This record gives sequence, structure tokens and C-alpha cells, in this order.
Amino acid sequence: MPPIPLRRPPLSPHRRAWLRQGLHGAAALALAGLAPPGPFSGLSLAGAATPGGPRLVLVILRGGLDGLAAVPAPGDPAFADARGALGRFAQAPLPLDSTFALHPALAGLHRLYGQGELLVVHATGLPYRERSHFDAQQLLESGGERPFALDTGWLGRALAGTAAKGMAFQSALPLALRGHAEVDSWAPSRRPAPDADLVDRLARLYANDPTLAAALGRARALHGDAALPAALAMGASAGPAGGASSPAAVGLAHQAAGFLAQPSGPQVAVLELGGWDSHANQAGDPGPLSNNLRLLDAMLGALRDGLVAPAAGDAWARTVVLVVTEFGRTVAPNGTQGSDHGSGGAALLLGGAVNGGRVLADWPGLAPAQRFEGRDLRITTDLRAVFKTLLLQQLQVPAARVAQVVLPGSAALPTLPLLRA
Amino acid sequence: MPPPVTPDAALAAHRFGLGEADLAAVPGLAGDPRGWLRAQIGPADAQHGQALPTLGQALAVQAAGRGAAAGDMAKAALRQQVQVDMRARLATAASTTRPFAERLALFWCNHFTVSLGKGASVGLVGAFEREAIRPHIAGRFADLLAAAVSHPAMLRYLDNARSAGPQSPLVQRLRRRSALGGAPARITGLNENLAREVLELHTLGVTGGGGAYGPWGGYGQADVTALAAVLTGWRGPRPEADAAAVDGGGFDPSWHQPGDKWLLGRRYAEGPLALRAVLNDLAHHPSTARHLATKLARHLVADEPPPALVDRLARAYREGGGDLTVLYQALLDAPEAWAPAPAKLRTPEEFVIASARLLRWGDRLVARAPDAGLAALGQRPQSAPSPAGWPDQAADWLGPEAVWQRVTWASQVAERQGATVDARALARASLGPLLGEASSQQIERATDGPQALALLLLAPEFQRR
Repeated sequence: MPPIPLRRPPLSPHRRAWLRQGLHGAAALALAGLAPPGPFSGLSLAGAATPGGPRLVLVILRGGLDGLAAVPAPGDPAFADARGALGRFAQAPLPLDSTFALHPALAGLHRLYGQGELLVVHATGLPYRERSHFDAQQLLESGGERPFALDTGWLGRALAGTAAKGMAFQSALPLALRGHAEVDSWAPSRRPAPDADLVDRLARLYANDPTLAAALGRARALHGDAALPAALAMGASAGPAGGASSPAAVGLAHQAAGFLAQPSGPQVAVLELGGWDSHANQAGDPGPLSNNLRLLDAMLGALRDGLVAPAAGDAWARTVVLVVTEFGRTVAPNGTQGSDHGSGGAALLLGGAVNGGRVLADWPGLAPAQRFEGRDLRITTDLRAVFKTLLLQQLQVPAARVAQVVLPGSAALPTLPLLRA
Repeated sequence: MPPPVTPDAALAAHRFGLGEADLAAVPGLAGDPRGWLRAQIGPADAQHGQALPTLGQALAVQAAGRGAAAGDMAKAALRQQVQVDMRARLATAASTTRPFAERLALFWCNHFTVSLGKGASVGLVGAFEREAIRPHIAGRFADLLAAAVSHPAMLRYLDNARSAGPQSPLVQRLRRRSALGGAPARITGLNENLAREVLELHTLGVTGGGGAYGPWGGYGQADVTALAAVLTGWRGPRPEADAAAVDGGGFDPSWHQPGDKWLLGRRYAEGPLALRAVLNDLAHHPSTARHLATKLARHLVADEPPPALVDRLARAYREGGGDLTVLYQALLDAPEAWAPAPAKLRTPEEFVIASARLLRWGDRLVARAPDAGLAALGQRPQSAPSPAGWPDQAADWLGPEAVWQRVTWASQVAERQGATVDARALARASLGPLLGEASSQQIERATDGPQALALLLLAPEFQRR
């Protein structure tokens, strides 16, 4: 099968329709009561960032999504033999082109593909081949070339020194966003808010502990005077990793859309979904992997719904959602109808700004000789080239800054044709 | 006249222990803080709690209560078992008089994480902690390692119970049956999940890892595969299995991969004895020494402990032949471990436990909720998000929302109990010389008892250790 060519796009940054969006979008949003009210009322960031500017949402799938389960390649002549039981689906996969398809649980994403709003990057991965979750996640979030070479996140560094904000939809700050002061984390709570006088006194108590003082200050600004209505509180996970679980993940995605749609909302957001480490019985439907894919489909759908709503000021048109995982998995099934840690996998890009309806891959093939070390999907597209492209073209980070600070060692990586011109 | 409470006594109680309500009232602490800690080194206490299930009981309750076909009573019994385990863990930590030993037990439970996050280990985590970890925290690491890795809860959590040798009798039989027109075999060979995590998380550390504390690791994919082959057959007892096929150690030879295995340049013969031999060799590997020394120093001294300290601890571990008591002793002897400024942020679980000890709640900590509110704080007990366990660095716990949840939790505690305690006296008695003038003043100036108690619980001196 001939490889699907990677085209080199023009480097010029894009100017998009979002520049025409004024503040009326936010006002309408507030009037419609769709946005979480008032979480930013305590912040004085109005006008600091471009109102209604571009949005980048990073969705981290922890555990190693099997890219060949989410985006199988039934058109590869080696697919059926190579995948065995993993290549047989309870329902027919949803075709994308002559080679690729989507897992049947990803029906919502399949519709977006048809509308040109979903782009798949396949056979992609990080510059790392050792198959440790923890090292690979560190690289995925830090944007470094070696695990633990950098202790801040690529998105955090991209925002550093700008007036834009980042926001994580869980209580702990993911590494991806560390390195920038203006980062919030937010998770719904069912408990009553603490007394304001106590919080005032805590601020004084933390006068000599800058770390605690900073965290308290951010939390306080986020919660403001008006806590989110209880109806919105879905009881999401507050944990440091692993992300929210069903159906909290869907509710959280909807709420994230509310924040992102606000003109003074975060430019960059991080959501997580865990549970992708499918070592056993991954082909079953229902089964853990199918269920998780269905949840991901619903979560991304909720995010889109919240951003295409009329009150959202057409935020979807200026949004890119990047769905990534730390590594792909073995091509062949392991001994328990699952897959072990591998290398190449799939990344998904969604959004009105995405030049979708395509699968972007320099496809290496699935036959044993075509695999990495005879077992993994070979990585032919460095995932950091995706990061780099979005940094340059979506977040408009200056090229020199990207090469030197945000993604060190990325100067030689190509930019990819991910976005609409 | 009782000896004065020194800064070292306060550090012993908070940094190495789990917090105390009254430093002067703890027998032996003020007079000899290091001696107080040394005397605690040994197996962890028996847990508080009634009807704590053994592994056999836990497996039976799990087998009945899992899956769509389980009845409501059986499901409720499984939920109850999870709650019993959670309550036992927290209540024990809240009331033990050997808090250093308890901290070490919690540390090793996290090092060898088995989490409720996976259905196959639900209901078994308490039995795992009681049987595989707590008795073994003060002996040779090789024994702790073997107990943890071969425990049925771990074998299930990391999928080893379903991993079979590709040439094992079982797989060959299934293959023949399938070839004769039966359904495709469900089990066809290795699942390398446990093997990889034993090397990466439990012993050597990830290859190339460790940074200033390394090098860790030193293994490759072939070693992972070889260890997975060594591990085949280790499945643990299954209530539904033919009892005759499973020997008392949980090893089923029909699942075992035949032949020698080569791991890190050494040969291990076929059979159940190979696992213990491999684990012994891994326990004595220099990478394991550095990996364990790093994690222990990171837990007790600082997020980024001095590399010289880690070097010394690793050497002590090696020279002690992998005896954990030697490692602990070296840590207590290290001047770096007694730096006066508290460097570690208490995790949510440590914060809740320290609060319970401050207020002398004992078992009442878990009277309302089995998790004592820790799920909302982001650290539901026994539910770490991955086999790597909970993170052990402050940045992972300092998201604004996480800090807000601490404030909320402390406020609720203070509302309930603040009117009945004198937070000012409590602050002095619990923190002693660690209590700074600024915090002391803020607590003094609180408008009422509940506010004073909330300020004490949230003071930097109480949030850190």
C-alpha cells in the first residue's frame, strides 16, 4: 500500500473569523444562563488576553490508548492477521477512507469526521521507545526530549509571559500546565464554601509561604463570591491523575465549554480521562475499552455542544481539541486478549479550526517486518510536530520561543497541515 | 520534671510520625526523639477493626459480589468489605502509638500499589495490605517484594492471574481445542503488565530514570518478557477453580512457560522457584538500592532530597544486604533528615490522619464516612490512579482546587468541633517549637473557636512536616 503523504503546509499564521467576535457572545452566554456564572468575577484579567481568542483543549488519555483499536486500519493487508481477535469488532468499524476506520463506539466522532471537523494523526508518538507509562506521560506533558529533562509543561511554558490563562478541569494541576502563574484548576464541589473571613485570615497566615499563598489565591479567585450552582456539580474526581470518570467526565466537559466560551476564559484547557491500559479482554463490547471509547465520544461531544451553542459566540470555530495518549500498544494481541505497552498510536484533533475529514499518516504498515522491534506500530510522525504546529498556528507563539523554550529540540520538526488556512 | 520538647522531638512526631496532639505527653518522645523512632521499627501493628477479612474470605466475597449476575446482597457485602478495609486503614493510622512504623507501612503500601481502581482487585486491597505489606516492612526487602508480588491481589491487579506461557500445557490444550473447531482461545500467552511494573516501579526503577539519584533501571524489553515468562503460573487461588490444580502457593504449573529464562544476563530454571530467585537478585541490584533510597528520602526528607543523602542510603541498603531496618536506621542517623524547616507537604491522607490524631478522634475518624472525606480531597484511600501509586511531591497536591478542598474540609471539622477545644493550647502542645510566631498570632486572634481550629489545621506548620 502506498504511504499516505504528509504534506508540508505554509508557515504563515492564520487569522480567523474569531477576530470578528465581540463581547456580545459572552453577554448572550450569561443571559442564556448557560455559562458557569461568575467564577472569574474576582479576577482582573478582562482585556488582558484577546477576548474570545483561540482555544486549545488538551485531552490526556492516561494509560496508553490502543490507537489501532480507536482507529483501526482494516485496509492494511496485514491488519486481520496482525490483530487477530483485536481486529474483530462486535459491530462494523465506521469507515474513514480506504485504509482507516473508527471504532464503532466513536459514532459522534465519525459524524464530525464527515463534517470535516475531525482529523486523525496516525502512527504518531513521542521521541521515546521504552514503554513506561510514567516516563511517557512525563514526556507527553513536559514536551521534553527525555523523561524528566524538563519539570514544567509545554502548555505552561507556552502561556508563560503572556496574559492568557490556562485551566485544568480537575483539582490537581497537570504537569502540562505547570510553569505559568495564571493557571487555574477547577472541579465541582458539593460542599458549602468556606467562610470568607476565614479565607481572608488564611491569606495572612500564608504570608510567609508563597506556595500555599499562591494556590489559595487562585482557588479563591476561581470560586469568587458565587459558587457554581449545585445542579452543575457532577462530583468529578479531584485526584492528581487518572481524570474524571463517567458520567462526571461528560458533565465536566460541558462545564469546561462554559469556561472556554467566555471572552475572558482560558485560552488553554486540560481535561483527562484515565483507564486506557487495556492489558486484557479489550475487544469485548461491552467491555472496558469499548465503554471508555464511548465515554470519550460523549465527552468530546459535550465539549463541542457547549462550544457550538449560539450563546457560545461560535467558540467552536476557533477551538482545537487535541486528544493524545502516552503511547500506543502492541499490534498483536497479548496472551489475554489485550495488548501490552507499545510505541506508535493515534492522536485526534477536533474543532472548527481543524482541517479535518482526513487521516494524516505516513503509514508504516502492520506486517511484522514493518513494526518497531517486530511488535509495535512504528512511529513515523513525531507527536511533538503536532504540538509545534498548534503552538505556532493556533496559539500564535513566536517560532523562536517555540524552538528555544516551549519545545526545545523541535526546530527541525516539520509543521503539519492540521488547521484550516 | 519532664524534659523540654525540642525541635527534633517535634520533627520526629510530625515528619517521621503521623502527628501528635501533645508532644510532651508521648512516652519517650521528648527525652530521646531518635530512640522513640528506632524503638518503633518492626512489623506494623495489627489493624484496628472488627471482622477484617483474610484473603480467603475476601476472595469469596469478591467472587460472589462481582459482575452483572451478582445479587444485591452479594454486591452489598462486597461494598461493605471495601468500607471495612478503608476504615481499618484510617482508624489504625489515627490511633497507633507506633506512628513511624505506620507511616512506613503506608509508604510501602503506596510503593506496591494495589488499587480499587480496577475491578479485579476490589475487595482485596485490605487483605493485601495486611498480609503482604504490614508484616514485612522491617525485614529484608526481598521478603517484602516476594510477599507483595506473589500476593493474589497483586497478581490480579496487574493481570498476571491471566498470563500464560505461550508453550504452557494450558495454552497448547486450548490451541488444540480451538483447532478442532472450538471457540477461539481466550488465553494464548503472556501478559507483561506485572513484569514491567515489578522492574520499573517495585525494584530497579525505569531505565534511564533517577536523574541526580540514578542511574536506575538497566533492563530492556527482553528482560520484561523474560520476567513475564517467569511469572506465568503465579495466579493465586481461585474459589471457582479446581482446587487440585492449584498448590498452596498459588502457582499453577499448567500455565507456566517451560524452559529456562534469561533475565539481566542470568539463567533461571523452569518452575515456581525461579520467581523467588529472580526477586532476590532484583532486590540486591544496585539500581534497586538507588531507586528505593530515592523514594524513601523523597517521602521523609524533601521532594528533591540531597543526592549525597540518597547515595548514603543506597550504600547502607547494599551493605546491609537489603535489610530495610538498616536503611531506616541510616535515614534516622542522617543530619539531612533533621533539617529544621518542614519541607514536605502533607498529602490529603496524611493531613486527615494528622487532624484526627490532633483531635484524638481514634476510630471516630471513620464514623461518618469510610473514607473520612478523602475522596473529595482527591485521595480516596486504596484507590491510587495507577500502579505507580499516589504522587509524593507537593506540586501534585497544590492545585488551587485541591487547596480549596482542604480549606473546605478543615472548615467542616472546625464547625463540628471548634467550640469544644482550645486551638491555641492545642497548637502549642502539638507543634511545640515548630509553631511560628505569625501563625500563633493568627490563631490567637481568631474570632471564635471554630475559626481558630480551622486556622490551626490549615497553618503552614500543620500542612507541612
